[in-house]
Amino acid sequence: MRNAILLTLDTLRRDALGCYGGAQGQTPFLDSIQPHCIRFMQAYSGGPYTQAAFPGILTSSHYLDHGKSRQLSPKRQLISEVMRQQGFETAAFHSNPYLSAFFGWNRGWDTFYDSMQDEVTDECPYIKSRVLNGKVRDWLAGRRDRSRPFFLWVHYMDVHEPYVPAPEYIERVDPTLCIAPAEMMRLFREVVLKRDVSDPDTIELLRKLYLAHVREVDDSARELFGIFEEAGVLAESLVVVTSDHGEEFGEHGGLSHDGKMYDELVHVPLLIYEQSRSETLVAEHVVSTLDIAPTILHSLGLRPAPAFQGRPLLPLQNYASDGAFGECYDKHGSTEKGAEKEVHYYRSERFKIIYRQRTETWELYDLRSDPHERTNLADASPEADRLKEKILPRVGRQPR
Amino acid sequence: MVNLSAKRVKELEEKIARSKEVFRQAYDRFDPRDMRLVWSGGKDSTLTVWICLQFCKESNLALPRAFTIDEGDSFEEIEAFLEKWSRAWNIELDRGCNEDVLRAANYTLGADVEVRKLNARNQAEIKRIGFDLERFPFEAESYVGNHLMKTVVFNTYIEENGVKAVFQGLRWDEQPARQKDAYWEDVPAGELTPAHTRYRPILHFTERDIWDTTLHFGIPYCPLYEQGYRSLGAKTTSQKMSDLPAWEQDLEHTVERAGRRQDKEKTMARLRQLGYM
Repeated sequence: MRNAILLTLDTLRRDALGCYGGAQGQTPFLDSIQPHCIRFMQAYSGGPYTQAAFPGILTSSHYLDHGKSRQLSPKRQLISEVMRQQGFETAAFHSNPYLSAFFGWNRGWDTFYDSMQDEVTDECPYIKSRVLNGKVRDWLAGRRDRSRPFFLWVHYMDVHEPYVPAPEYIERVDPTLCIAPAEMMRLFREVVLKRDVSDPDTIELLRKLYLAHVREVDDSARELFGIFEEAGVLAESLVVVTSDHGEEFGEHGGLSHDGKMYDELVHVPLLIYEQSRSETLVAEHVVSTLDIAPTILHSLGLRPAPAFQGRPLLPLQNYASDGAFGECYDKHGSTEKGAEKEVHYYRSERFKIIYRQRTETWELYDLRSDPHERTNLADASPEADRLKEKILPRVGRQPR
Repeated sequence: MVNLSAKRVKELEEKIARSKEVFRQAYDRFDPRDMRLVWSGGKDSTLTVWICLQFCKESNLALPRAFTIDEGDSFEEIEAFLEKWSRAWNIELDRGCNEDVLRAANYTLGADVEVRKLNARNQAEIKRIGFDLERFPFEAESYVGNHLMKTVVFNTYIEENGVKAVFQGLRWDEQPARQKDAYWEDVPAGELTPAHTRYRPILHFTERDIWDTTLHFGIPYCPLYEQGYRSLGAKTTSQKMSDLPAWEQDLEHTVERAGRRQDKEKTMARLRQLGYM
């Protein structure tokens, strides 16, 4: 492998992918590349929203490691910095304001496009994946030194609310559904932003609109892989596909992605694609998105970064799983008022334990018998004390 | 001083020559009495003024006057710099300011301004940019503040002085949105904007070119750049990017204007549209 490509899909639920068994899976392309993939069935994100999750993906560190600033701490090391130091050309194309140069995420990139100077609309407040693809194509075509290996990160925002998909994609999810953009924006303002889960039919409608965006993103991924193929770089690249977090549709009383640690938000898809592979490999052990950056370095034969806290996922047999941690502040709804309090989880092979600092409460779920996390065993299970010990040292810790 | 290769110096000289050609076009079309140099005291407009000086000296032409906008929140260092070099270069410098807004804000940053206390022109301008406000906080680089304290001052000045052409120190590499800008543009008369022509002689200079040229030719610059400012806007909203002098920072891989308020506003606006905040 010479190059590494990281494709991250904002807000993509694991069960929106057919290859993860989602009954409503809308990802024919991502399903079709499975023979070339290692599919991680138990991949967990470092947090339930972008700010909490991306330090894990791009800096292999936890969200609460370096204090509260929204600005990326200079103490974190981005994988772009590590790879550029080791001779790689680095490029990023995305449209998420939380990951913009303004917040300091532009370190280590030879090319950094965050779209923040471009005009967007309320219906689509980001630059669409198809436009990003065009920029990737231009970048690949314009590279001066083709002998230099590259690290490319592409992040699509299209699945993120507001859910205002194009009619052609709505039709693929539900041909009977007819809804105007103005009505979709009304649902965004009146239902999603207010976290109003009172009407199950409306929630179901929102889920369909969300899935229409997933279908669109799958088409964009298809186009992007085509661009790699055309440029002759796919065969010699390691491609990692994942999402930063999922999306809630009323499973635990909310919508969108707030400070909660249930599986609809933190259990994410993770695929490692190599064209030379011809049969799907399914990995069942618990892994973390903090492992992605170390995996890329290891697979490309690069020096490990001492600051990275994750471990290489490959080769699979050498990975000793020790569960996965995640943390965030408990922002709720579309506001972030009030003193922020921490929320933590730890996922073992079988259980998930969640701690809320605000209420000092614990939740424990046996994911084998209770995959939807409905029955809190914190007071009933003999496992609880052992798992609390995993979390407690992490609560309220001082910045490193 | 800066150590540049002969090739690099030649490159910069060619860039300066291109800029002079833009001045030449303006002088072919307008009388210098109807032209103005827009001079904020920042590095870009100062280079523009310096090139204009060279051009006028070489061609034996009269210098235009310069015009600076006082946003009511400016650095003392910038004011001192403008004072010193307008004298040294013998340039007539006019200052424009929206006194009406300052008065309504009691000359206090962050103070609430009641719209009904503003004059008719300012009230009309607030409506024109789509704001239906009763009050707003006085901040030079907020959307309303920027409009009243800069755009309105600019329009009023060119109207009252019959200015037909202005020289601006804009650059293509400042932001993607600038990349379609042309060296000159005829701005038609609008509801509250008089017709005029805008010349941008240094469009093709990158931030690196600016510093290489400034240091190599010994062009003066405001000392704030030495302290780490990359881009100077209003005093309370400009931030240092580092403690290194601007020209020693990683100009190619970091963002020049990240220390400025408007980037923050843009970012926050996007986050709001995505349902945050």
